[in-house]
Amino acid sequence: MEETTDINRELMLDANATAGLLYEIFGAEMTASPTECAHCGNEGELGALLAFTQGPGIVLRCSTCENVVLRIVRTEEAIYLDARGAVYLRLSR
Amino acid sequence: MKQTLNWQLASIKNVKPETANVKSFTLTLPAWMRHRAGQHYDIRLTAEDGYQAQRSYSIASEPEREGEVDITVERIGDGEVSTYVHDVLVPGDRIEVRGPIGGYFVWEASMDEPLLLIAGGSGVVPLMSMIRHRAAAGAKNPASLLYSSRNFEDIIYSSELEALINANSGLQIFHTLTRSQPPGWKGYARRIDQSMLTEVAQPLGRSVQVYVCGPTLLVESVANGLVKIGISSNQIRTERFGPTGG
Amino acid sequence: MSEERFVSRGFVGKRRAGEKKDRIPPGQYLTNDFPVLSAGPTPRIPLDKWTFAIEGLVKEKVSWTWQEFLQLPMQTYVVDISCVTKWTHLDMKWEGVSLDTLLEHAELDRNSMFVTAYSDGGYTTNMPLTDIINGQSFIALKYDDKPLAPEHGGPARMVVPHLYFWKSAKWVRGIRLMEKDQRGFWENLGYHNRGDPWKEQRYWND
Repeated sequence: MEETTDINRELMLDANATAGLLYEIFGAEMTASPTECAHCGNEGELGALLAFTQGPGIVLRCSTCENVVLRIVRTEEAIYLDARGAVYLRLSR
Repeated sequence: MKQTLNWQLASIKNVKPETANVKSFTLTLPAWMRHRAGQHYDIRLTAEDGYQAQRSYSIASEPEREGEVDITVERIGDGEVSTYVHDVLVPGDRIEVRGPIGGYFVWEASMDEPLLLIAGGSGVVPLMSMIRHRAAAGAKNPASLLYSSRNFEDIIYSSELEALINANSGLQIFHTLTRSQPPGWKGYARRIDQSMLTEVAQPLGRSVQVYVCGPTLLVESVANGLVKIGISSNQIRTERFGPTGG
Repeated sequence: MSEERFVSRGFVGKRRAGEKKDRIPPGQYLTNDFPVLSAGPTPRIPLDKWTFAIEGLVKEKVSWTWQEFLQLPMQTYVVDISCVTKWTHLDMKWEGVSLDTLLEHAELDRNSMFVTAYSDGGYTTNMPLTDIINGQSFIALKYDDKPLAPEHGGPARMVVPHLYFWKSAKWVRGIRLMEKDQRGFWENLGYHNRGDPWKEQRYWND
């Protein structure tokens, strides 16, 4: 079980770390919500996605195929969301 | 009705040093809401000129404690939020918080499968909330904590963890010290590896639920190791803390 | 609910007041660090599989292997870099090949007006051709006299110092010449199409 040093990988988190932001966007707790990767079909909870949070925006990637599932950009006035990498998102009623 | 999650002003009630670099802060909250073990609060700091910095800190205390929460923060040398929290905040100060948040990395005492908690450094914080909740709820499911620290002095909550073992609540604790060990040390003395995982996980059986929290690389290597010993990935929940653990 | 704006007693943040204020674009703060900011995991491509290409609206696609790339004339660049996440690092030292040198090997179509830089891992960013020629951009192989680290875009990244650093594609594998501008990874989700730090062009509508 060797660990290769890669600060980029070390900075990677679980999407659970973005729970507050997802709450802001969807008005609901999203990390336990299921989703399906549009690229490989892997199903799981949003909280299990890999989160890259250090850049100009937040990128959530599938833990199986590492393709982009969600992208979020926060500007001064707005939040932009690209959910094309998710087959669906689910919000409880 | 959908609850809204708003920023509120928490007050620092108490500051408790845990280790040389780690402190626990008790926050009283005007709009306290019972959390679930494993959840976190977002903290936001604002400077005079409007500059803001935000971080997430796991709740260390059990949900059963009403009106207030403990967060445990590791001071990271070049971290602008953790240094402020450690060096400036005193009881009476106020801080903006939002939460409790997180639905993925949570454990409730009603889940009665055997429980395996694996912590690297300050990754022990959300797992401590689970342990404290388990004790407060009187849960009886077999539970083990495997806790990796660098040196003996870095172990957070060490006396409380000792007391919990002695209270015979069915909780087992395995420590591993990766840098140096005190004379007479009887615990593990190396980084978590597959044989350590096998020894700790096997007694808990095939339906064990595992929570792993700590620096990203530790979490990844532990999660991979667990899968290799036959625990399926949907039994494993991870919380990566990033490079520094907090 | 919190007050309109609560101020945290004694909080200043990590920013340093610049002695070099006139070199720091608006809204930026000075740093001596080189933060690692990524949209995805570090791609790892073996150097014997690495190529850099110029393609799209050119007479013929041109490409170099790593060994061929190393034979190209390299220059040293000392430039100021500004990231849209607000850090500015002055006098960063790079070594690389000018885009002018690379473009000499391709025959551009009259309609080649725009460029999309593309990278391993799927990242793209776009800019007008006029923003990368005449010494304005280079493909960097070294930072601070050392081979460019993978987490910073190594083995090679594009550097376009006069625009926000998201335009400086890490892990770059080529540029595509195009007639029409095509928004890249961040440009199609709220980030300004051009990104001039001195005009503070961070987002759409800036």
